Amino acid sequence: MDRIDHLFKHYANRSSSHLIDPEGIEELCSNLEVPHTDVRILMLAWKMKAEKQGYFTLEEWRRALKAMRADTISKLKKALPELEKEVRRPSNFADFYVYAFRYCLTEEKQKSIDIETICQLLDIVLGSTFRAQVDYFVDYLKIQNDYKVINMDQWLGFYRFCNEISFPDMSNYNPELAWPLILDNFFEWMREKQA
Amino acid sequence: MSNQKKRNFQIEAFKHRVVVDPKYADKTWQILERAIHQIYNQDASGLSFEELYRNAYNMVLHKFGEKLYTGFIVTMTAHLKEKSKLIEAAQGGSFLEELNKKWNEHNKALEMIRDILMYMDRTYIESTKKTHVHPMGLSLWRDNVVHFTKIHTRLLNTLLDLVQKERTGEVIDRGLMRNVIKMFMDLGESVYQEDFEKPFLDASSEFYKVESQEFIESCDCGDYLKKAEKRLTEEIDRVGHYLDPKSEEKITSVVEKEMIANHMQRLVHMDNSGLVYMLLHDKYEDLGRMYNLFRRVTNGLLTVRDVMTSHLREMGKQLVTDPEKSKDPVEFVQRLLDERDKYDKVISTAFGNDKTFQNALNSSFEYFINLNARSPEFISLFVDDKLRKGIKGIVDVDVEVILDKVMMLFRYLQEKDVFEKYYKQHLAKRLLSGKTVSDDAERSLIVKLKTECGYQFTSKLEGMFTDMKTSEDTMRGFYGSHPELSEGPTLIVQVLTTGSWPTQPAVPCNLPAEVSVLCEKFRSYYLGTHTGRRLTWQTNMGTADIKAVFGKGQKHELNVSTFQMCVLMLFNNADRLSYKEIEQATEIPASDLKRCLQSLACVKGKNVIKKEPMSKDIGEEDSFYVNEKFTSKFYKVKIGTVVAQKETEPEKQETRQRVEEDRKPQIEAAIVRIMKSRKILDHNNIIAEVTKQLQPRFLANPTEIKKRIEALIERDFLERDSTDRKLYRYLA
Repeated sequence: MDRIDHLFKHYANRSSSHLIDPEGIEELCSNLEVPHTDVRILMLAWKMKAEKQGYFTLEEWRRALKAMRADTISKLKKALPELEKEVRRPSNFADFYVYAFRYCLTEEKQKSIDIETICQLLDIVLGSTFRAQVDYFVDYLKIQNDYKVINMDQWLGFYRFCNEISFPDMSNYNPELAWPLILDNFFEWMREKQA
Repeated sequence: MSNQKKRNFQIEAFKHRVVVDPKYADKTWQILERAIHQIYNQDASGLSFEELYRNAYNMVLHKFGEKLYTGFIVTMTAHLKEKSKLIEAAQGGSFLEELNKKWNEHNKALEMIRDILMYMDRTYIESTKKTHVHPMGLSLWRDNVVHFTKIHTRLLNTLLDLVQKERTGEVIDRGLMRNVIKMFMDLGESVYQEDFEKPFLDASSEFYKVESQEFIESCDCGDYLKKAEKRLTEEIDRVGHYLDPKSEEKITSVVEKEMIANHMQRLVHMDNSGLVYMLLHDKYEDLGRMYNLFRRVTNGLLTVRDVMTSHLREMGKQLVTDPEKSKDPVEFVQRLLDERDKYDKVISTAFGNDKTFQNALNSSFEYFINLNARSPEFISLFVDDKLRKGIKGIVDVDVEVILDKVMMLFRYLQEKDVFEKYYKQHLAKRLLSGKTVSDDAERSLIVKLKTECGYQFTSKLEGMFTDMKTSEDTMRGFYGSHPELSEGPTLIVQVLTTGSWPTQPAVPCNLPAEVSVLCEKFRSYYLGTHTGRRLTWQTNMGTADIKAVFGKGQKHELNVSTFQMCVLMLFNNADRLSYKEIEQATEIPASDLKRCLQSLACVKGKNVIKKEPMSKDIGEEDSFYVNEKFTSKFYKVKIGTVVAQKETEPEKQETRQRVEEDRKPQIEAAIVRIMKSRKILDHNNIIAEVTKQLQPRFLANPTEIKKRIEALIERDFLERDSTDRKLYRYLA
């Protein structure tokens, strides 16, 4: 326990010694030899149940490292592949997916995330499993004008889309069902392109 | 046969049934046999009924019933065989007569014989369950005469031949026919059916098959139907005269099938004479005939109705999508009313007010009226036209009739909320310009709309009327407390409650000094008596009457809009003004000012102002001066531009946008209402229920409903079910 706390103090900032701040996280990333936009950092945050983007509290830090049985940087680094496997397990991934969205809601009462951030987030979170869907959808998001932000419902809708709809033919997609409208529009746009 | 008196009155004592000497039976039988011969030979006058009866009685009593019965059959059969030979020998026309004659004779004979053998009929035959005398007599006739091969076919053919002759117009002996055919009926229903009716129906079917083919090739629809009707009547007449009434239904079915059912499609679709032709040319008689004939066959009326419906839809579609027709909204609507009247008349005159046809008419109108998105606007303009000018020479009652007809069109509209918007605008203009011809008619229409659409539709409209009334009272109060103002220009103010009237943005405008002074006095008066309110002058909605004197002393009273007044009054202090000067002085926005100047300077007969250069449009470098040479044969000249008109494209877009905006909260309210009571509901059902709830006002777009659902999810009114994506849940 001590060593975990000690490790925490190393990264925690001088001015806010009870928090690891973005600078501290950057240092952590470089020590782990992982780019700080890498999905594994997000996974680590998930493991911590970190509430505020860019900051880790002592309690959150302890939670993750204890569970991962890591009290040094090298142990933490070695535990990352195992963490990734854990997150990618279907039972956990849905939860992680929701967490990823919430993590980006930085303001109080914020409910939606701007398009640009969403595009990056989609890439990070779903890029490795649903490459094609993410690429096409991101393309669409950038050129459409109906929505300037994405909310949780639409975020979740896209995940279901990736899991249930065959791509790129989308033959089992029905816009008359309860899919979020933005996906109906995406579907139309794809159809037009394919024609 | 004479009834001989008995010499002695004897009562036979009851004796034991003793088997008597068979010779006795023979003797007795011979007597009877001889009698039968005589009866058949028309030689019965010398016979004693009583004696013969007694003989028969005795035979039965002494147990010779069988001998008697058998004897009777054998004797009668022999006679009938003879008769049939005679009948068969008859030539040509007399064949039937001979048959009829012999039949009548047989019946008479049979009756006599039955009477004689009555005791046997009631005892021996009863107990042995054999066929009674009379029916046996008929069967024997049937078997030996009618079914005699040499007679059977010939009889039938003769009868059918006669029917054929009659059908081709010849006169036949109907009495003879009746008798012979009655013979069949008397012989038993199955005999009638097998030996006559069935072949008759088959032959008739053939006949009508051929005839209908001939007719359809050579006649037009109206004529064909006349012929079919005639044939039908004839057949019914024929049954009445010489067939079994039960045959009526069967023969009419044959005619209906061959003449109508088989040619239904071809008749209805006939070029230049079929249903469409009849409808277009108001051929009520032909249409009525078609209706009456076609209703007799399966799917007959359905065929007629379908063709009528597709014709209506096509015609209606062309009408509403023709750009030429959309140029004059009043004409457009009048045309729709005329068409509706026309088809209403067809249905009531020729189709017996058949409800299914009424429904077809309504659904067709509903279909095509909504193909033109401007229908709601046009209907409102039509109403405006009628309520504004009235209809020349027409009494109040007829105005009611016209309004009722307009309401019928209104009911067909899917976008009733669009109508409401335009109606409000047009009503506002009517009220404010004082141009409504009949207050009663206005109110009457509002009542009709309220009945149709509910209180909410009309509550704001009624607010408009209230404001007008209140304003009158306010004006009285104003002038009452400012008697000194009765000398100057007269100001009439209508104070409009913001929520009730169509919203208009306030447009800036510098009023002439005389006017603005008055306005300020009014404002302070009003705010003095109504604290906490704010008044905004709507200069874009007002009018003014100005007295003007022109170059040669011509005096006129000009009825103009407020903007026009501001412009004209400037010329009291200047002879010539440039566009820029006018703009600066009045502060009226450019587009309104240009329109205003256009109406003052560029309209023939109303150009009180002249413009340099004399181009059609108002340019910013133009200059203006009074038209001293202005003339008009009327003292009062109207130059105002406040009449309700068909909207311009940009105005139309704006109105549509406002309508769409107004719909959003209505859709959301409907969704919330439904979800609140159902708690959980799946996607398709929400769409259906919402659409149904909003249908009295407009047709809700499923995509729009989906958008609203998502908006409500975002605002935490609803959530999606975590396991079944199709379900929504109400969040209390």
